[in-house]
Amino acid sequence: MKKNPNKKTAEKIKETRPLATVTELLEISRKKEKEAQEMDRIIRTLVRKNFELSEIKEKRKAELRELEIKTRELEKTRVALINMLEDVEKARKKAEEEKNKTLAVITNFADGLLVFNKEGRLILINPQAEGFFNVKSRDLIGRSVLELNISPTLEPLTELLGGEIKGIFRKELPTRENLTLEVSTVSMMSGEETLGRLVILHDITREKMIEKMKTEFVSISAHQLRTPLSAIKWTLRMLLDGDLGEMTLEQRDFIEKTYWSNERMITLINDLLNVTRIEEGRYLYRPALTDIGPVVQLVIDSFREEIKRKNIECEFRKPEKKLPKIMMDAEKIELAVQNLLDNAIRYTRLGGKVIISLKHGKNEVEFSIADNGVGIPKDQQQRVFTRFFRGVNVIRLETEGTGLGLYIAKNIIETHGGKIWFESEEGKGTTFYFTLPVKKEFEELSEEF
Amino acid sequence: MAKKILLVEDEEIMIDLLQRNLAKEGYEVFIARDGEEGLRIMKEAMPDIVLLDVVMPKMNGFEVMEEMAKDKILAKIPVIIISNSGQPVELDRVQKLGAKDWLIKTEFDPQGVVDKVEKQIAK
Repeated sequence: MKKNPNKKTAEKIKETRPLATVTELLEISRKKEKEAQEMDRIIRTLVRKNFELSEIKEKRKAELRELEIKTRELEKTRVALINMLEDVEKARKKAEEEKNKTLAVITNFADGLLVFNKEGRLILINPQAEGFFNVKSRDLIGRSVLELNISPTLEPLTELLGGEIKGIFRKELPTRENLTLEVSTVSMMSGEETLGRLVILHDITREKMIEKMKTEFVSISAHQLRTPLSAIKWTLRMLLDGDLGEMTLEQRDFIEKTYWSNERMITLINDLLNVTRIEEGRYLYRPALTDIGPVVQLVIDSFREEIKRKNIECEFRKPEKKLPKIMMDAEKIELAVQNLLDNAIRYTRLGGKVIISLKHGKNEVEFSIADNGVGIPKDQQQRVFTRFFRGVNVIRLETEGTGLGLYIAKNIIETHGGKIWFESEEGKGTTFYFTLPVKKEFEELSEEF
Repeated sequence: MAKKILLVEDEEIMIDLLQRNLAKEGYEVFIARDGEEGLRIMKEAMPDIVLLDVVMPKMNGFEVMEEMAKDKILAKIPVIIISNSGQPVELDRVQKLGAKDWLIKTEFDPQGVVDKVEKQIAK
């Protein structure tokens, strides 16, 4: 604590000056008074400064507290950030793993795969696909479908896919000898967005080979069967013609029945051969502009005896106006009509009715054949055009029949660019229809032997 | 003088039936049982017409026709193909090789063959 300055001064006076005048004293007193006032001012200033200082101190303290809070918050943020970074890293690793997994699946997939992005550029080709076409991924990545043509082995594929990669489902593609692929394309979608297209190449060489062997087996067997059948036919014909001597009526009756059984066998073998030709894609078509009316009439005429035998009323309705000529293989259309008429007569009871008609449609000629026969059971209608199909009701009615006629007819009509269909109700009858386009020309199909 | 027919066919029963029918009509019939023999007899006998099977041992019908085409004289002899299979492609090929006519065995009988022969020779 500081000493009082007035007291100090008085003591000093007492020590140095024993006595003083009043004036001096007064003077001294005034001076002291002034000094005291000065002191007081200084003290007040000091007090104020002191107060200001403590205020500043408080402020600093508050600021410090705030800083501490902020630091803590920052710390929290930092931890959160680190956590986030760790999560991102985890996610990245996971994504990487997923990518590797997907790549491993694609790489080791038994099928060949080509992935195109939404701009239609190749972004991935797996080793199987590289192997199929004997190409290297690095030469092809980034190219559009048409640009893949730089490799001649890819030409058949690019031709099939087209510039825009159309939707393809299990289409056969013979690429080179001993390799047949089945091509499908799939759109890769994420919600509504298209990410690109996937081309899947499945090796079906083995299946094709087995199919070919099966067809060849049927073909060779059928050919082998024809030789003895021809010999039997010719011998029986000679017997019937009396070239080998006269026969009794009974003998003749038996030989005649044998002759017709043999004829049925020949028909069956011919049907089988036609089916194998269709399956091998070497059913030869020789199209020419033909009037279909006389072709149908010819078929009807060939069934005249059978129609008479079953007492069937057979009507042929032709349009008043002449029908336009059609680009068709008359022999094949005749076979299709023959198969349809044969069925109509075969599965119509004695005294039934068959109506055959020809109509001129918009750009086509429509053929129809309606009978009031046994009909096709509803549950079997889907299988009508498949090979060897025979309705359960008709098997009971007549055991004979190969189930190949409608399959052959469908192939013939469709090769001509036409359509074939039917309406049927069991017990009431069936109507088969087919159309043939008027103007459309189709290419002569070559047959390899 | 009887017209000469060469029948090139490996199926014994077919040979019997055809020979019988053709001889009955007054033709002189020569028989060969494979393509090679067919060509040999053809050169010796100079037939007026050849009835030729397609599938035969040693030399098939196509090869016989190819050989005939190389020989100026043999090339002039008309050929009728007797086909077993009747495959359109087979018929196409023999037509291109110059066959005058053909018949599919299962669709014909011996009399039909005689009719075709008569039609060709009458030309």
